[in-house]
Amino acid sequence: MWADTLLILFISVCTALLGEGLTWLMVYRTEKYQKLKSEVERQSKRLEKRKEAHGDSLDKQQKRKIEREEEKLKQNNRDLSLVKMKSMFAIGFAFTALLSMFNNIFDGRVVARLPFLPISWIQGLSHRNLPGDDYYDCSFIFLYILCTMSIRQNTQKILGFAPSRTASKQGGIFGAPPQAFK
Amino acid sequence: MATKTKTTEKNGSNGASTIKQPALESVWVRAFKSESEWPDKEEFLDVIYWARQFLGIAVGILWGLIPLKGFVALLLFALVNAGIVYMYCTSFQKVDEEEYGGAWELTKEGFMTSFAGFLVTWIIFYTGLHSEGFRKDL
Repeated sequence: MWADTLLILFISVCTALLGEGLTWLMVYRTEKYQKLKSEVERQSKRLEKRKEAHGDSLDKQQKRKIEREEEKLKQNNRDLSLVKMKSMFAIGFAFTALLSMFNNIFDGRVVARLPFLPISWIQGLSHRNLPGDDYYDCSFIFLYILCTMSIRQNTQKILGFAPSRTASKQGGIFGAPPQAFK
Repeated sequence: MATKTKTTEKNGSNGASTIKQPALESVWVRAFKSESEWPDKEEFLDVIYWARQFLGIAVGILWGLIPLKGFVALLLFALVNAGIVYMYCTSFQKVDEEEYGGAWELTKEGFMTSFAGFLVTWIIFYTGLHSEGFRKDL
């Protein structure tokens, strides 16, 4: 059982690296993406500074300036997510196929023993396609998701691909409306 | 290219801080030194993020070795993780939490990733060391 557990950890490290590698190939290295990213970062920082300086003032001119910059940032964020979108879809499809392949390989196999009893709505995932009703048994998909959750984000951060905090705070990666400044 | 991007970012933040504080020590030194100066907020948040990841894995290994089980172990992890980071920020580094958007922002920085890392190491160590008695056939 432990060999399976470690194998899944290894698989998720590989898929995380592969995913980031493919995204780099299709998105991160393109000039358009890099230009947009640095633009968004620059605008976010400028907007934050401006808000810090004039956030509480009732000066209409400043408010209008802030609004205008927010609008620009939103537009750039939208463009950035559009650049990412196409390749994300392609990678998503490839990984869904890969996941279903692994799912078939580990079908019905207990890959780990959980040291806690998962709550009922997680049991469907942690006990997926497993025989018996010992809910301490862990299925492939549950462990894989957990591994991916931790490894993927850390890999992105180490490689410097994670979106900066200022950018996500100001506009959100999918162009969500900027948060109201406190 | 990735390295290039990373280097540019690092240089960018370091460059910005160098202008304000020419004699600023490296992030590593400042992270372990009490009441350090953090002119770049991102740097301090990164320190918290990585401290959390390390803490998550360390607690996961410890809980797996003992072994601690059940809901109590999960709760204990959350308390240890949030408690240590909060103490680090307020008592060791003595940063103004309002500058970072309040205590909640500092507490949640990297928490979910750390929680996932904790679960993975906990499950792996528990499975490897304490599960053989349950399923000899596997």
